[in-house]
Amino acid sequence: MNKFNKGKALIYFGLLMASAIVLYPFFFMIINSFKPGAEIMHSPNSLPSVWSAKGYIEVFDSINLGRIFFNTIFVSLSVTFLNCILSAMVAFAIAKTKMPGRQVWLRLILSSMMVPAILFTIPVYMMMYEWGWVNTYRVLIIPGAISAYNIFLLYQFMTQVDEAYLEAARIDGASEIRIFFKVVLPMMRPAMATVGILTFMGAWNDFMGPLLYIRDDSMLTLQMALFKFQQDIPAGNLEQVWAMTTMIAVPVVFVFFFMQKNFIKAFTGVGVK
Amino acid sequence: MNIRRYWVSYLFMLPWVAYFLIFMLYPFFLSLQNSFLDINILNPENTRFVGLTNWINGVADPYFWRSIFNVFYNQLIFISLSFVCALLAALMLNEITFLSSLFRTVLFIPVVTSVTVAMIIFDFVAAPTGPIQSAMMSMDMLEAPIFWKFEQWLPMPVLAVFSAWKWFGVQMIIFLGGIASINRSLLEAADIDGAGWWRKVTKIILPLIKPQIVFVLTINVINGLQMFTEVFMNFDLKGGPHNAALTPVLHLYQTGFEQMRMGEASTIGLLLAILIFILTMLQLKLTKGKED
Repeated sequence: MNKFNKGKALIYFGLLMASAIVLYPFFFMIINSFKPGAEIMHSPNSLPSVWSAKGYIEVFDSINLGRIFFNTIFVSLSVTFLNCILSAMVAFAIAKTKMPGRQVWLRLILSSMMVPAILFTIPVYMMMYEWGWVNTYRVLIIPGAISAYNIFLLYQFMTQVDEAYLEAARIDGASEIRIFFKVVLPMMRPAMATVGILTFMGAWNDFMGPLLYIRDDSMLTLQMALFKFQQDIPAGNLEQVWAMTTMIAVPVVFVFFFMQKNFIKAFTGVGVK
Repeated sequence: MNIRRYWVSYLFMLPWVAYFLIFMLYPFFLSLQNSFLDINILNPENTRFVGLTNWINGVADPYFWRSIFNVFYNQLIFISLSFVCALLAALMLNEITFLSSLFRTVLFIPVVTSVTVAMIIFDFVAAPTGPIQSAMMSMDMLEAPIFWKFEQWLPMPVLAVFSAWKWFGVQMIIFLGGIASINRSLLEAADIDGAGWWRKVTKIILPLIKPQIVFVLTINVINGLQMFTEVFMNFDLKGGPHNAALTPVLHLYQTGFEQMRMGEASTIGLLLAILIFILTMLQLKLTKGKED
C-alpha cells in the first residue's frame, strides 16, 4: 500500500463529503420516483415503503414521451451536425486557404462572439413570426446552425495541422473541397468531438427557444415538456413529476459517465485560451 | 481573378456570412430601429415613431434597476460560494492521483444536467418538507419551516446556492487546468523552502491562475445577467415577491411577450448588451494586462 498520511486522508474525506452533497439530490429524485404518490407528500426524505413503478406508467399514459424524445433528439442532432460541418468549413477557409483578408474575417468572427445573445431575442422573434417559422423544427435548428465560438475552436485546432499534408495533397492534384473532406476533416476528429459535445448539450438543454417558438404539444422538446408537465400536474400526482425528471436526467448522466473524458476536455476549452 | 482562384474559400465562408447578415446584423439594426418605435406585434399597423421615449423609459424604469440589483445580489453570493468550493475542490483533486478522475466526474454531474431538471430537484430539496429543512428542524437550528419563494430577501440567495451546486464543476475544471499548467519546479522549490500549504496557495497558485480567476468572475456575472429559466420556473413567470426575483431577461420577456411592447423590450435588450459589452471589455483588459 502507498503511504497514507493525515493530509491525504483529510482530502479524501473532503471529496467524499462533497460528492455526497452533489449526488444527494439525484438520489432524492430516484427514491421519490418509486414511491406511491401520497407517500412523497408526507415522507419525502425516506426510502419508499413499497417500490412502485406507478409514476413511470402514468407518465407514458398522460403524454407522448416518444414524440418528445424524437423531437429533442432530431433537433439536437441536426444542430450539432450543422454546427460541426459549417463551422469547420469556415475555419478551414480562414486557417488553411490563402484567401485574402483572412485576418479581417477572423477578427470579425471573434468580435461577434462578444455580442450577447439576449440582444437578438426580440428582433429574431419578430423575424421568425413574420416568416411564419413559429412552431416548426427549422426555428429551433437554423438560427443555431453555426456559431462563432465553434469556428474559433476549430480554427485553433486547424492551425496546428501540418501544412505538409495539404501541400502533398495539392501536388497530387486534389481540389480544396477534396482536401477539406478527405485530409482535414478526418484529422479534426478530437476537435469535432469537443464542438459536438458542447453544441449537443446546449441544444438538448435549450429552454428559451422552445418557450418562445413552440405552441403545439406535438412539437415540444424535453426541457419544455418537463417544465409544462411540472406546472400542470396536480400536487397529488407528484410521482409522475419525479418519474419524468428521472427519465430525463438519468440517460444524460449515463452518457456523461461513458464519455466523461471528452466532456471535461470540452469544458476545459471553454476556459482561457 | 481572385474570385476564380479562391472560389472554394469564399464558398466555405458563405454559411457564416449568411448567418451573420441574417441573424446578427439585420436583427441588430431591427433592434435599433425598434427601440425608437412603439410596436405591438399583434396589430403592426399601429406602429409609430416615439423618439427616445423607450430609452428614457427603459433607463428610468425601476423594474430594470431592480432586476440589475437582483443579479448582482445573486452573483455576489453565488460567486463567493462557488468560487471557494471550486478552488478547494481543484486544490484537493490536484493533490491526489488515486480516484482523482472519478471524483472529478462525480462533482461535474450537475453541470451536464439541464437547468429544468436540476431546478425541479433542487426545489424539492429546499422545500419546507425537504431534507435540508427537516434536518435543520430536527437539530433545532430552525424554528419554523421557510417558504423561500414567498420571502422578500430569500429568492436570490437560494437561487445562488442552486447555481453554486449546478455550476461549480465548470469552475473547478477551469481552475484545475490552471493549476496543472503551473510549473512544477516552482511548487517543489516552495516545498524545499518549507512553505506551508496556505502560503503555497496564496503566494504561488492564486497569483499564477489569475487569468482563470478573472475569466470565471466576469463570465459568471455575464451569465448571471442572462439568468432566466430558474426564475421563470419558480415564480410562475413573475418576478417573485415584490420583484425580489426579477432578472433582466425576465423583465425583457415580460415587457416583450406579455405586455407585447416589443419596442421597449428591444431597448432593454440593447441596454443589457451594452452592459455585458462593458463587462467583456473589462475582462479582456484585466487578463491581457497580466499576461504581458
